[in-house]
Amino acid sequence: MSLVLDGLCRSYGEVVALDHLSFSVPAGQVVGFLGPNGAGKTTAMRAVFGLVSLDAGTVTWKAAPVGPAERRRFGYMPEERGLYPGMVVREQVEYLARLHGMTAADAGRATRMWLERVGVAERSESKVEALSLGNQQRVQLATALVHDPEFLVLDEPMSGLDPAGIDAIGAVLAEQAAAGRGVLFSSHQLDLVEHLCESVAIIDRGRLVANGRVDDLATAGSSRLVVRVAGDRDGAWARGLTGVTVSRVEAGAVRLVLDDHTSSQSVLAAAMQAGQVEQFGFERRRLSEVFREAVG
Amino acid sequence: MRYAVIGVALALAVGVRLWRRRRTQPGGYRLAAIGQVGGVTGLVAEREIRERFRSRMFKVGTGIVLLVVVAAIVIPVLRKGQHSHQQIGVVGTLPAQARATILAAGASLGIGLTLVPEASTAAAEQDLKAGRVHLVVVDGRRLIVDRAISATDTSAPTLLVRLVATQIGLQNALEAAGLPPDRAAALTHPPPLPVTSMQPARTRGTAQVTAIYGLILLYVLLTQYGTWIMMGVVEEKSSRVVEVLLSTMKPAQLLAGKVIGIGTVALAQASVLVALALILAKAVGSDLLHGSAPLEVMSLAVWLVLGYAFYCWVYAAGGALADRQEHLQTLAFPLQIPILFGYITSITALGSANPSTLIHVLAYLPPTAPFAMSALVADGAVTWWQFVLSAALTLVSTVLVARLAATIYRRAVLRTGARVRVRDVLSRAAA
Repeated sequence: MSLVLDGLCRSYGEVVALDHLSFSVPAGQVVGFLGPNGAGKTTAMRAVFGLVSLDAGTVTWKAAPVGPAERRRFGYMPEERGLYPGMVVREQVEYLARLHGMTAADAGRATRMWLERVGVAERSESKVEALSLGNQQRVQLATALVHDPEFLVLDEPMSGLDPAGIDAIGAVLAEQAAAGRGVLFSSHQLDLVEHLCESVAIIDRGRLVANGRVDDLATAGSSRLVVRVAGDRDGAWARGLTGVTVSRVEAGAVRLVLDDHTSSQSVLAAAMQAGQVEQFGFERRRLSEVFREAVG
Repeated sequence: MRYAVIGVALALAVGVRLWRRRRTQPGGYRLAAIGQVGGVTGLVAEREIRERFRSRMFKVGTGIVLLVVVAAIVIPVLRKGQHSHQQIGVVGTLPAQARATILAAGASLGIGLTLVPEASTAAAEQDLKAGRVHLVVVDGRRLIVDRAISATDTSAPTLLVRLVATQIGLQNALEAAGLPPDRAAALTHPPPLPVTSMQPARTRGTAQVTAIYGLILLYVLLTQYGTWIMMGVVEEKSSRVVEVLLSTMKPAQLLAGKVIGIGTVALAQASVLVALALILAKAVGSDLLHGSAPLEVMSLAVWLVLGYAFYCWVYAAGGALADRQEHLQTLAFPLQIPILFGYITSITALGSANPSTLIHVLAYLPPTAPFAMSALVADGAVTWWQFVLSAALTLVSTVLVARLAATIYRRAVLRTGARVRVRDVLSRAAA
């Protein structure tokens, strides 16, 4: 029950956009898709919808290749938003619902519901071009969701939104995942991704450089400690310890990165020798740190 | 006849009002049937039809073309009407013989005349200035016209003045020579000599007049429909909505829906235009329908459909190469050259008994065939099998052009940011 990208390759002349990219998005999960600009996120997402012809690789959903029938049950929000400027909002959303295979009656009902849900119901008879960019974005989200898709692919759904809009989209994505849908979305707002996503896939120059549950990635690699010793505001006790790097000292709380051969117990012993230990704990890496390490 | 014109104009106005009122009611008309029959392609076509009928460009464009058609039919008839009946003012007495001479002169020129008595020369001059009378005869001795007659003018009203002047002058001279007035009158309009002909009268002229209007309409409509297609494609590309659409269907389905939808609107518009033209022509007694003209009308209708089928793909591919509406001008121009060339060459070839080899060649080339073949039909210079052959050639090349256009469209429509070059799209790397 997952969407699997397997060995995707695509180059444009000399430029390699996708380089044997493989990862999967299980149903019921929100997966963040991260990478610097030009890393190949948009190309990979377009590949899911057959909008890019691949040099190699396959995209499968529930272990079967993704074809037109499957895509019609997916929801897509492309990076460059697209709506007919001169078309009435309600008709626009209904039209896309029908293109996804809904009957006229179902499309009408679902459109009313989703326009209400994303907060543009009172503008439903306006033309798209008369709406603010933020509201157009809400309409765009409604078009991606209106047909009750099994799987959602959203390319930077939060960009350009105010905090209330971001919260609204975040709530919708979490709700979709809770209802058993798979969600793949790209973003540059790493704090947001960390908050929203169970797992992430990080790519750089078309290759997968990190992939897994956010918790696992945050605690993987070298251990990180926060230690506070009474009376030592500068953390002098920690300097000179072998196998330990002091990353930051803040009001007596020393943040340490341990190399692979150093145990946290030896650091605790050193701290206890220096004075009374007021705080001793393991620290998770922030997703932004994971990201920076991964894309070097 | 004028009442007929007014009647048609009124009917038209009422029709447009009713249509508009129906349209403004919510859910006034639904084209759901098309959507259900044709799957996504049908849905695309349905949307095209609905949005097109609503667009300001469509309404204004249709209005202008309708006006041109009405004017082209009504104005010649009204002008002919003006000439075919005239009033002549008579000051003082006019002998019965002179009266008969004037009426006979009118009849020989195909102009019906009414003689109206005038109270005085001054009153007659007033009527002349106001255009109520065309000519004034004073005491059977002298003629007055409003504006001096130029020597090179050979129009029927001018000829009438000259004829009346000569005939009455002749009659006066004969009477002065001592002939009794009725003898003089008989001599001024003797029975004409019988004329026998070696060939029947030419009737092709009417088809050629129809062809002139038809070719103009063909040119205007083909260009207009091509532009619709092109703008429709660019609208989707420049607003990036095409990416969302293509996540639910194949490019060929989207393109086909667009072509069918716009084609339906085009056909509806053209049918209304032609129907209006035919009804109006019949009502006002225009020459457009006499002789071999109906054949020409049919030929033009066939070529309008074939021409649209051929050019819609070309314009669709052109639209896919643009990125913004501004690119349209530069892209539309080269596509318009064959249409313009075919139009101008064909319209100048009309009326020639022996059309040039160029026209015969152009009649078999799909880009110019709609115009050149229609011109040949009007000139009576083709046989039915030549017509069918040309139509078949156009159909076959339409299939090829459609396939090429679909390829260009598929490869270019998602490339944004700059104008796409045909070479880039058709190269191997773009596949």
